[in-house]
Amino acid sequence: METIKRYLRPEQIRELSLVFLIVVTLIFFGTQIEGYYSGRTFNRITTTVAIIAVVAVGETLVILTRNYDLSVGSIVGFTAYFAGTQLANNNEMAPLAAILLAVGMGAIMGLINGVLVAYGRVPSIIVTLGTLAIFRALLVNYSGAKTVTTDSLPQWLLDLARANLFQVGEFDFRLMVGVALALVVIFQLVITYLPFGRRLYAIGSNPEAARTAGFPTQRIVMTAYVLCGMLSGLAGFMFLARFGNITVVAAQGMELSAIAAVVVGGVNVFGGSGTMIGALLGALMINTLEQSLIRWLQISEFWRDALLGLLILLAVATDAVIINRLRNLWARSGLQARPTSGAQAVEEAGHDA
Amino acid sequence: MTRNTFGSLSASLERLKSWEGLLLAILVVVVANNAIQSPVYLSVENQVNLFQLFIERIIVALAMTFIIINGEIDLSVASVMGLASCLLAFLHEQGTPMPAAIAVTLIVGVIVGVFNGFWISVVGLPSLAVTLAGLIGYRGVARILIEDRSIGNFPEWFNRLGQQPLLGPFPLASLIFLALLIIAVVILQYSAFGRYVYVIGNNREVARYSGVRVRRVKMILFVASSVVATLAGLLLAARLGAVRGSTAEGFELDIITMVLLGGVSIFGGSGTLVGVGLSILLVLNLRNGMSLVNITSNTQTGVIGVLLILSVLIPNWGQDAQSLWNRRRRVGPAQTTGEGVGHGS
Amino acid sequence: MTDSKKPVLEIRNIAKRFDTTQALDDVSLDMFPGEIHALLGENGAGKSTLIKIMTGVHQPDQGEIALDGRPIRIGNAVEAQAHGIAAIYQEPMIFPDLSVAENIFISHRDQGVVLRWGKMFRDAEAILAQLGVHLDVRQPARGLTLAAQQAVEIAKAISLKVRVLIMDEPTASLSVHEVTQLFKLAATLREQGVAILFISHRMEEVFEIADRITVLRDGKKISSTPRAGATAEGAIRDMVGRKVEDFFAKSQVRRGDLLLSARGLGKEGVFSDVSFDVYRGEVLGFAGLVGSRRTDVGLALFGVERADAGEITLDGRPVKLHSPDHALQVGIAYATEDRRALGLTMPMSITANISLPMLREYLSRLGLIKRAVEETAAESFRERLAIRAPSVRVEVARLSGGNQQKVMLSKWLNARPHLLILDEPTRGIDVSAKAEVHHMINDLAARGLGIILISSDLPEILAMSDRILVMREGRQMGIFTRAEATQEIILSAAMGQNSGARGSQ
Repeated sequence: METIKRYLRPEQIRELSLVFLIVVTLIFFGTQIEGYYSGRTFNRITTTVAIIAVVAVGETLVILTRNYDLSVGSIVGFTAYFAGTQLANNNEMAPLAAILLAVGMGAIMGLINGVLVAYGRVPSIIVTLGTLAIFRALLVNYSGAKTVTTDSLPQWLLDLARANLFQVGEFDFRLMVGVALALVVIFQLVITYLPFGRRLYAIGSNPEAARTAGFPTQRIVMTAYVLCGMLSGLAGFMFLARFGNITVVAAQGMELSAIAAVVVGGVNVFGGSGTMIGALLGALMINTLEQSLIRWLQISEFWRDALLGLLILLAVATDAVIINRLRNLWARSGLQARPTSGAQAVEEAGHDA
Repeated sequence: MTRNTFGSLSASLERLKSWEGLLLAILVVVVANNAIQSPVYLSVENQVNLFQLFIERIIVALAMTFIIINGEIDLSVASVMGLASCLLAFLHEQGTPMPAAIAVTLIVGVIVGVFNGFWISVVGLPSLAVTLAGLIGYRGVARILIEDRSIGNFPEWFNRLGQQPLLGPFPLASLIFLALLIIAVVILQYSAFGRYVYVIGNNREVARYSGVRVRRVKMILFVASSVVATLAGLLLAARLGAVRGSTAEGFELDIITMVLLGGVSIFGGSGTLVGVGLSILLVLNLRNGMSLVNITSNTQTGVIGVLLILSVLIPNWGQDAQSLWNRRRRVGPAQTTGEGVGHGS
Repeated sequence: MTDSKKPVLEIRNIAKRFDTTQALDDVSLDMFPGEIHALLGENGAGKSTLIKIMTGVHQPDQGEIALDGRPIRIGNAVEAQAHGIAAIYQEPMIFPDLSVAENIFISHRDQGVVLRWGKMFRDAEAILAQLGVHLDVRQPARGLTLAAQQAVEIAKAISLKVRVLIMDEPTASLSVHEVTQLFKLAATLREQGVAILFISHRMEEVFEIADRITVLRDGKKISSTPRAGATAEGAIRDMVGRKVEDFFAKSQVRRGDLLLSARGLGKEGVFSDVSFDVYRGEVLGFAGLVGSRRTDVGLALFGVERADAGEITLDGRPVKLHSPDHALQVGIAYATEDRRALGLTMPMSITANISLPMLREYLSRLGLIKRAVEETAAESFRERLAIRAPSVRVEVARLSGGNQQKVMLSKWLNARPHLLILDEPTRGIDVSAKAEVHHMINDLAARGLGIILISSDLPEILAMSDRILVMREGRQMGIFTRAEATQEIILSAAMGQNSGARGSQ
């Protein structure tokens, strides 16, 4: 038991139980829905998750530092539209240039958020609630209420959305899914192995101590926002490639799906703990449940939001009540059950003397 | 102007006064500008209409003021408004008599408030997370009820209540607002409950150690917030005459902006309804002024977003300037208490 | 051991002024490798300012700091660290979500581009082993005891190759066992040649561990003596500038009726089997070291942390105290030791603070606050307790510590309690305010209030109490009458029989 406790932290148990829940969900719906295990189901879930996951990776970076970014939906919408019009006007534009354009635009928007939060000391919820409206308003003005249509876009972009990485039977692994997975892995490595990543945890875990320790907390928080903006920009590009038709309400409300994914995935709303893998699992869980319920109960898509809200509340409540209790259990056993805990060792030494 | 005789926050009171002065100055400029743009601008009808367009948000801003002074936030209000409108429309569509439908909706409003309040004050979850979930979830319930339909056909009397003047030039909603405003001012500035709201916002532990029933106060606030939002949702349905799943979507931005722009601290513990009143007037006239020069409502929302950020950013700068000034002038008392913290306990 | 060595750090003629307050005035201090240097002084003596200058939070107006004889400039905490100067505080600055190992190494600038977790765990284990502390380095720091957290901080200091370690009241929140553990760590560091600046309010600790004792008062260095040549009385005299016997003593009051009686009071894992009586007109002292759980008993009586065992009777009737609200209704008030976090709402007026617990008494028939009555009440307290403030509308944050304390006492007196629990009522206030508070306690007892006085200040508790209940680690060690109580008896009870000899040397 002790060895298990040593290598399996409550956070990992949480992630494992999420995997378990996803598997149970899949098995359950497999028995309920005919032709559930099909290439179509797989494709639909993975491509939706791909875009959300990229945004969720950025959101996780921000939430780790005990902040929020509510503006990601607007950033995705704006960059998708922005890159779309540029490509429509100039079909010859190099693919890489278009991607850089979207990512760069996202970076600028993230920078605005980051500067206001880190240097302006305005609570992140206020800043990003404001920029959620501001970026959307910019999009509406910029677009002049016109839409980007599939026909105006270059063919390579439309092919990109359907490009396969590889294929197993009827299961297609889309390139975009691969990109999303790669980003999850890359950023998981960043937050595990780079000093920058560890400091995100440190700041969210104890902002006061982080300042005292002399970390450049403002710069780190700002960087998290810039990265979140860039990832949202990339997601915007993916959104453009997948849907082709972009209106001014594109990706409206996506911030809620991203936050839901992150929170359900076990990233602590108070910062300091959570993983990219968790966020990905959260996105997967939500989308699987959503897609399956829609098909199983024949319920409308209108259930989506109610479900999301409930899942967020459940996740936050679970973390507050159950995970904290587990953590205390772990902490206590770590201190008491080991035969030579610090206090006892010194105490014994003291008695000998 | 702020007869804050219990003299809470005299340091921030000075700031507050100057903040309110600033709001007033901008307001005068905006109104003057609008009056020049349009000769009928200052007419009673136009001003009443102006209010009427935003009356539901203004009503909810009153409750939000209490919540934010208390150190919490309720992001779910706009969704609760939407839920109320949709539930009413749904019940009406199912053939429920209007008075019964209104009663049921209000009861649901209470239940929603108790639900929010339960997680926040009993379980102890952060209000930000709970009401963010509520923002999504209650909107979701509203969508489940009426999907992508638009439901209208309310009885004649109901629509008339929402649209026609009831007393002099004032429609029902304005009268409700006036009544709620008076009640809110009395409760916040003159009653024990209002005092508790401030004390808890400043430091909930001090409140607890002084015998204040903190959980009860928070529960009452969240229930009140939901009930007021429900009422506002009903008024909105009456005014619009038809309801969709997206009714009142995004209203929380306007509401929170009005409160914070009024000088209520996002960190809790300070702010007055006088400031919020001024900022309501400012937001209304600004929006109307923008409409006069044909700025779209979407752009207006963007401008409100800018205002929201500025309303926290500027006091922050002011505070920086003030502490810099203090450091230059007399650090005496502040510094000695600082020492006390370093050594103490 | 310390002879013939050169000082590692010299503080030369440092002065620092904050507007009207001369926080430090020409203070010089030498710190030698392998020496534990104790710094004593009352609150406001300048200790904090000195530490802040050493760690780069403040810059001195005059004077300099020299490392190995060369003057250095310390601009911030990071630079201090680079010079090998680190500080650990009473409340350790840990990151609860990060592992023990990471907490030790997170401040390192030279971690390389990519973190090597394996190496970090091994290094952390090595450092902790060197200190004789056994902790699972992979475990998150969340849930570590305060003592274990401090061990982590010390390990961090070692990993940074610290040469000068400042320990700012590290023992204030530790139990006796944990203090022993901490001292063992400090001794280990001393053997490794680290210079330690040790700050504590507890005389017996200072004399147990320090090699040299320096006393500050009002920003000036009063004395600096090797331990062999120092006495506790002398050090206290230097600190307060007056003799110990000068303490005001409570006058004898005829003991009134039995007010409150507690039998077998307990709270799982905190304290157990505490039984006592409080009579009207009596001051019952609660003595004990920090960690003795005196405050927890006080909180149980006030209903903040409910006791889960035992019985309480008040005026002969059994009561269950389940909330502060309820305790106030039955006439029990508790003035906390932490004015700032628990006692007063700093940005609000004196009036609003005083009336808060009794607000319902100031309501008109319509339920509105009668401002005039409220202010009159506050005004009467301002006069009675000589609170120095221009008006009762002034916000409490602007008052000095002593006057804040008086506002807090007014707040609880205004609640007209039968039993008043005072937790460290004179901590952090100056000598004259202290005397006023003592006079006031005397007054209140004379008027028939029952008072429980919780204090770590032994002379104060001896002078002010009719009887003294001594606690140690959640257990009641005995109740002593004023006649039989001496400093030695109380201390040996508070420290347990075995360590009593050490305490009373």
